[in-house]
Amino acid sequence: MKRQVPLILCFAFGIVMILTQFSPHSFSQGIYEEVISWTLIISPFALVLATATLIQTHVARIQRRTDHWQYSFVVFVGLITMVVIGVPFGPQHQAFEWLYTNIQVPMDATMFSLLAFFIASAAFRAFRARTFEASLLLITALIVMMGNVPVGDLIWNTVLGWLPLEDGASKARQWILNNPNLSARRGIILGVSLGVISQSIRIILGIERSYLGGGD
Amino acid sequence: MIKIIQCLAVCLVLCLSVSTGFSQVLPPPSNVTAMDTPNDDGSSITIKWDAAPEDSGISGYQILRRLAGGGLEEVGGILPAGTTTYVDSTIEKGNAYAYIVRAVSATEATVESEETAPVSGSGEWFHTGKIPLLVAMLLFSAAIVWNIYDARSGKEIFVRRIPGLEAVDEAIGRATEMGRSILYSLGLGRVEEVPTIASMTILGQVARRTADYETPLRVPCRDPIVMNVVREVVRTAYLDEGRPDVYNEENVFFLTESQFAYAAGVDGIMVREKPAAVFLQGQFFAESLILAETGNSIGAIQIAGTDSEHQLPFFIAACDYTLIGEELYAASAYLSREPMLLGSLRGQDWGKLFIFGIIVLGVVLELAGVNWITTLLQRVS
Repeated sequence: MKRQVPLILCFAFGIVMILTQFSPHSFSQGIYEEVISWTLIISPFALVLATATLIQTHVARIQRRTDHWQYSFVVFVGLITMVVIGVPFGPQHQAFEWLYTNIQVPMDATMFSLLAFFIASAAFRAFRARTFEASLLLITALIVMMGNVPVGDLIWNTVLGWLPLEDGASKARQWILNNPNLSARRGIILGVSLGVISQSIRIILGIERSYLGGGD
Repeated sequence: MIKIIQCLAVCLVLCLSVSTGFSQVLPPPSNVTAMDTPNDDGSSITIKWDAAPEDSGISGYQILRRLAGGGLEEVGGILPAGTTTYVDSTIEKGNAYAYIVRAVSATEATVESEETAPVSGSGEWFHTGKIPLLVAMLLFSAAIVWNIYDARSGKEIFVRRIPGLEAVDEAIGRATEMGRSILYSLGLGRVEEVPTIASMTILGQVARRTADYETPLRVPCRDPIVMNVVREVVRTAYLDEGRPDVYNEENVFFLTESQFAYAAGVDGIMVREKPAAVFLQGQFFAESLILAETGNSIGAIQIAGTDSEHQLPFFIAACDYTLIGEELYAASAYLSREPMLLGSLRGQDWGKLFIFGIIVLGVVLELAGVNWITTLLQRVS
């Protein structure tokens, strides 16, 4: 029974939600919007549970004195500060906004900016011309990089000015992006789309039920 | 004499004005029709009229509407001269409206069409424009369902080797031998998203093996609902393997909902705990390379998988194995070897074969000057 009820609900809602995609009538669209809005009801409960888990995890870390347990206090300081300011005064309060703008946003930006260095290190490894494929990747990447920077066309026109192709760097880049790159991407997208439909059918029919906690 | 000249001048000016005026007489918009917009929920009415000749002097159109028994009101502002269709989406359902199209010239002269018969909007139960999509979906679904039930007969189904999934045992074995943990991230996806569900399926299979080997499995979650479902998935896997004593609920935990804070948290776990194997399966965005490069820097064996074609190059560059696109969805069938799941993979391949056939046929027909396939596909999209 514990498994059957979710499976029946999944089947019923899956079929109904598919049908709403083919019916523009306000009744069916109303059902679609109503069901989607139900997820909003679940979120607050889940958030309470998540907060409880977060507290539980960090209390356990402090109690057990695990590695770097002192940082768990930082979590509590941040959590309590935002709750103390946010709950009574709301997220529009000056202090709340100041904390968000001057602490969370810069920290997010810091993490994001690390991406530039990680791209460099990953590119260095990927572009080592050890094999034919890696060499091809390296040459392609060089052309795309040349085409992306304004000086690329200047270099092309200066060095390869004798060729009948003007601004060849940006044109070659565009050709690579429009043809081999887009073809590969579309192939992946087609495969993914069919995979999603297949997975959805398995879930709706109750064949794929591992998301319920097991395969039986 | 002067008076005569003045009279002649006035007459000349009048004649010129009258003749200019007559030469710029605007033709009224013709064949104006108003009808309920097809394939909508009844919240709009479409007004159509014939295109005016280029030298008609019309510089734009105004749409006027009248609610039964009411006055005229303008809707939609001034429309450009070439317009021949207007969709009025500001109607109230259940009311009938009559429409007039007013042509406007550059000199602000106007001329109105005849008033249409009153029309009201009504919602359609079926979107006729989506018939080809429905047929394609039914065909593809039928192929999958047929293959699923055909697989129950016990026929051997060939599935090509997927190195990323072959390496799952290797990764878990390595972590066990090294006495280190395994880190599994489901990415940033919500519970209702298909990649997340596919990732949970893989996690279930990974958890079965870690239960056998007693290898710690750490799962930091970004979404609280995902965390709860994942806890149930992992717990059931340990129960199924007869090792509920090894299951530790604290190993599946909520980290944060913020994208980069999540990346920082997972990176921190990697650097501190140095897991021997890292699984990055699910939906990833800009944090994909941050996670994968950190995993690479600690020397963990990394198996990644996502359906986001923008993140795939990052994973391929930084991870040992990558499940590309649909391989993520094939993982549950591949790892479990359940005949019904394998059958659905074959159905999926039929779908790909069908699309491949359509593409080849479309290219051949286009080269031969026949373009009905292209037209049909463009209409569906």
